Amino acid sequence: MAHQSPILVTRLSKTYKVPEREGGFGAAVRSFFKRKYKDVKAVQEVSFKIEQGEIVGFLGPNGAGKTTTLKMLSGLLHPTSGGAAVLSFIPWELKPEYLRSMTLVMGQRNRLSWDIPAADSFLLNQAIYRIPDDEYKKTYKELDELLELEPLMKKPVRNLSLGERMKCEIAAGLLHRPKVLFLDEPTIGLDITGQARIREFLLEYNQRTGATILLTSHYMADVTALCERILIIHHGELKYDGGISDLSRRIAPFKLIGVMLADADTHDLSGYGIEVPNEEDLEKRYIQVNAGDVTGVTSRLLADLPIHDITITDPPIESVIEQAFQQ
Amino acid sequence: MVNIFKRLWQVNWAEQWQYRANLIMYLLYFLVSPVIYLAVWTSIAASRGEVNGFTTNDFITYYMTLLIVDQITSNIILHIFAYKVQDGSLSGELIRPIHPMLTNTLVNNIAFKALSLMGLTPIWIILFALFRPDYSGVTWLNMALSIPAMALGFIIGFLLSAAVTSLAFWTTRVYSISEFYFAIFLLFSGQFVPLPLMPDFVQEVAKYLPFQLSLYFPIQLILGKLSPEEIIQGFLAGILWLPISIGLFNWVWREGVRRYSAVGA
Repeated sequence: MAHQSPILVTRLSKTYKVPEREGGFGAAVRSFFKRKYKDVKAVQEVSFKIEQGEIVGFLGPNGAGKTTTLKMLSGLLHPTSGGAAVLSFIPWELKPEYLRSMTLVMGQRNRLSWDIPAADSFLLNQAIYRIPDDEYKKTYKELDELLELEPLMKKPVRNLSLGERMKCEIAAGLLHRPKVLFLDEPTIGLDITGQARIREFLLEYNQRTGATILLTSHYMADVTALCERILIIHHGELKYDGGISDLSRRIAPFKLIGVMLADADTHDLSGYGIEVPNEEDLEKRYIQVNAGDVTGVTSRLLADLPIHDITITDPPIESVIEQAFQQ
Repeated sequence: MVNIFKRLWQVNWAEQWQYRANLIMYLLYFLVSPVIYLAVWTSIAASRGEVNGFTTNDFITYYMTLLIVDQITSNIILHIFAYKVQDGSLSGELIRPIHPMLTNTLVNNIAFKALSLMGLTPIWIILFALFRPDYSGVTWLNMALSIPAMALGFIIGFLLSAAVTSLAFWTTRVYSISEFYFAIFLLFSGQFVPLPLMPDFVQEVAKYLPFQLSLYFPIQLILGKLSPEEIIQGFLAGILWLPISIGLFNWVWREGVRRYSAVGA
């Protein structure tokens, strides 16, 4: 059998028709008889493929089309045009065999019934996904080890904290050991420890099962910890597809030179590059220079100024990505 | 599949118990109109001896039976499903490998029925003591025949309500459409008044519509008011409407899900 990537997306597009009217009574009456619609192109001709076992970060500002893409790939939305194959299924046909082999974790309320303890929802999922008892016990034990679920299982879901609920949601979405995971903001609302735990867990799940993961997150720490590859989408168009380390070279081919000076505040650094603030290291002053000019600027700095210490670093990934969004 | 339904039952039964107060309010609301019709028609019949062949006892037994048959054949799809399309909470169910309407919503309806029938029983006994209906016309055969009749009435009613509620995929707000549907249902099902009291053309139209299968047909069947021909006619109508409602629901559902916009979340 020919090798096929588990996620294959070709020129996928989604246009929403959104009713539109001016404010005011007259406009309200007019719109009753004749509605005006505006086409909102949420996703435009997006193509990419993801190989088995990859963890890919899907980034973009709010409203860029990330969630719409995830919803199409999980089968919730029909695209306006273009195609996708996930595990060789067309997602929006919603074939039960497809739904049994993937998961979508979105927001906080999804798989768990609000009014009953999570344990009952888990057992329901076991039945729905036809998970044999021994396999269920094994998976549950693994999930419990990683996420410490046991103390949460007996409480009605409505009484859990946001972080506790998120842990249960993620676990509920993984009981059937999906081969493909779509995660929309899996760490949203969690504290730092909670975020770190979910990240560790996802890495371990990926290593144990070889699952393919596509995730969105607003926390760059999620992305840098989990993903070697990222996709950047903006205004519905795919702007970048590649390694996270290549991103700075392609989007922002510059370096940061940090200098510790004898009398830090008296010297004017504007002749060497653009001075940028760095809150993590207040002892040094930082200037941004083109990657090609680093050697020249460094030797001029050393020759001109009373320098105690000098460092040359890549710009932080957050600011590179931010810059990529703005382009 | 049996296991899925068992677990769905446990979850939905537990959920229904969470909303006991809601259930009591629903029961009171549900009781108001049949009990008013019952009181009005019995007093009219009492003053005139009978109305179009319906005696006082006919009215009492009709509405007392209606209270139970309606509980069994009606559904609450509109109340438990439409909002899920509106606020996007259907998403979680849509990506499970089971049909949201034909599994979870169905079981939820049945759990609701089971609980509301439990609540109805003491009220029914009180009404029985008050109105003292004469049920001597009821036979075991009629009772037995009413079971498949009510099952058919429930399934057809469920599928049609599911189809109407699925219009929410197009309009988002489906309440006005379903109000219209309920008005038609009220008129042609025999809920408002027993069908023989309606004008001839209404009776004629009602015969071909599926609504009487949920109320009028099983009620009159239990009460032994139908001739063998009418019983056969009723079951034939049910057997005919069953594939039509299945087809209609499937079509609306398939087209609707294509339009689902998975808002929120």
